[in-house]
Amino acid sequence: MINILIIEDDANIAKMIKAALAMVDYNSFCCNDGRSGAAEALKGGYDIVLLDIMLPEMDGWQVMEKIKDSGIPVIFLTALQDVADKVKGLRLGAEDYIVKPFEPLELLARIDVVLRREHKTSSLLSYCDIEIDIDKHTITSHGEPVYLTPKEFDVIVYFVQHLDIAVSRESLLSNIWGFEFGGESRTVDIHVQQVRRKLGLKDKLITIPKLGYRLESCDSQ
Amino acid sequence: MKLWQKIFLSSLLLIIAVVNIVSIMLLGNSHRLLIEREQSHAVNEHEYFTTAFINTVTYEKLAKNSLTLKVSEIGKAAESTVNSVSRTVNSAIYYSTYASAALKMPNNLNKQIHEELLDNIDLSCNEYTILTLESENKHFMTVGSAAQLDGELYYIVTATDITEIFNLRKRQSDFVREISIISSAVISLILLVITITLLKPLNRLNIYTKAIAGGQYNIRILKKGSREFCELADNMNIMADAVQSHALHLEKIAESRQTFIANLAHEMKTPLTSILGFGDLLRIKKKVTDSERIEYAAVIVEETKRLRSLSEKLMELVVLGGTEIEKKPVDLPKLIGDAETALTPLLTKRNISLITDTEKITIEADEELFKSLLYNIIENAVKASPDNSEIILKAKRNKDKAVISVADHGIGMTKEETERVFEPFYMADKSRSRKAGGAGLGLALCAEIAKLHNSVLKIDSSLGKGTTVYIEMHEVKSK
Repeated sequence: MINILIIEDDANIAKMIKAALAMVDYNSFCCNDGRSGAAEALKGGYDIVLLDIMLPEMDGWQVMEKIKDSGIPVIFLTALQDVADKVKGLRLGAEDYIVKPFEPLELLARIDVVLRREHKTSSLLSYCDIEIDIDKHTITSHGEPVYLTPKEFDVIVYFVQHLDIAVSRESLLSNIWGFEFGGESRTVDIHVQQVRRKLGLKDKLITIPKLGYRLESCDSQ
Repeated sequence: MKLWQKIFLSSLLLIIAVVNIVSIMLLGNSHRLLIEREQSHAVNEHEYFTTAFINTVTYEKLAKNSLTLKVSEIGKAAESTVNSVSRTVNSAIYYSTYASAALKMPNNLNKQIHEELLDNIDLSCNEYTILTLESENKHFMTVGSAAQLDGELYYIVTATDITEIFNLRKRQSDFVREISIISSAVISLILLVITITLLKPLNRLNIYTKAIAGGQYNIRILKKGSREFCELADNMNIMADAVQSHALHLEKIAESRQTFIANLAHEMKTPLTSILGFGDLLRIKKKVTDSERIEYAAVIVEETKRLRSLSEKLMELVVLGGTEIEKKPVDLPKLIGDAETALTPLLTKRNISLITDTEKITIEADEELFKSLLYNIIENAVKASPDNSEIILKAKRNKDKAVISVADHGIGMTKEETERVFEPFYMADKSRSRKAGGAGLGLALCAEIAKLHNSVLKIDSSLGKGTTVYIEMHEVKSK
């Protein structure tokens, strides 16, 4: 189980982050000022700290200074958009820097990247009869290997990691093809169709009008 | 051409010209005096010679015992006079036919005398004709006169060598030329040094001015050199002061705008984060329970209201900045009563009592704006106060001013917080005032309203004990 510490003074934002994390079954704990947040982080037991910068009592930079020796990966969440602030944050040892306002899925994606880098997530995923080994880049359905292109592989991994969540084409594009990819949502549709066909997920990987796709959990029907 | 070059060259030329003109005039003058002296000398000699000649002729007449002498005899007399008298001067006696009766003259001079002098001799025998002639690099002063002897006209000419005078003049002018060249060199050197030293402060001023113009506004020019330069340096320093203070002022304005915008962005992004987050969650989650839906939507509504209040306050601030207010006499007790009524729901909710103590004062104010100022300040006091406490509102006359004070027994603020409290978006206690729905613009608005009334807000606060806000307004004297 992944434990995440949220240090954020705005109660509503903290609530929103908590709800987003709960969606992918991450545990979270909130602190609403810098001092108690730093103390809580140093207690240990957290896999990631989400840290706001403008905090009462002690600002995010100071909290970062205090907890960076503990080795907990930190992602800054802030309204400051200055490149200089970004550089400062990363130089202090933060893993990432997310500018408010952000979409919950973006936050989850950034958290995933950090967790994978830290090897906190298992490289083995399973969904119904499908077994995925992310490290070996292999996928089997009913024990039979299925051959997917690298992007198709990324697509199915993303859906399995975000079970029961409606994923927009834009999210898929930015998370799998990268933010800079200038492709169209048509590319996404083609890949999703290929994945559906190759893995026989016609009823599970459903299209949601005006939004995108959702992979329904196995036992939901 | 640079200034120092101009000054240097023009003074040098002037000095050289004056020196040369003066020396040429002096030389000319002394030459003329010498010539004049020589003239009188020559005339004397001539007179002496003439007398000697006449005497010789008379003597001959006596010796021969005859009344007249023959031309040849006079010629002989002339010959002897020329030979005996004129050892010091050259002399000659001519007949009227220009033939020489007796001659002791250099050949060339003789020729010139024939050509230039003899024709001009005054035949009436009253005046001498004086002429300076040059012959073979020698200068002669020739004096001529005419004499009538026994029916025959004779020209008598004497010539004095005055070459020495001309040589002297030449030597002197050569000397003057040498001296003027040497002195010009020395003077130009001295002038150069003087000009450069005198204009040195100008150079320094130039360097400093360039530095100031280049943006180093903190530089001040050292006062050195002559008085004009000191004055100039003073004035430039005054200018630099003005430039610096203006630059600082502009910098401050730019900085406060920057802070304002940064704060505004932050204040807008915070509610937007919650709205976007919960909105997206509602959209992408497959199953949303009823309680979750209500919770999420409640946050969205709450944060949207916060944005609305922020934009309203911002609009007020912007509109206030550019308005001319309409001041009218306002009855202060009535206005306070109105505010009290408007605030009653807020006060009863927290069980806070507002105690008013107002004298009957009429002030000059824009009623609506002033009401909003008062409302904002009382609202702030309510926010800071604990439940079941009291807020004291006083309006007292102080000389010709009305002093309105609002005091609470709330949480108070530190000195640092008090100083910053009028800054837009500044919140002494962020989480508390957010919960109370504040955008951090209320006091900035109040300060703006007070400014429009030519007044300032003063805040007296101590942490844990409470805060008092004072407003000073001009009273309208009732007639």
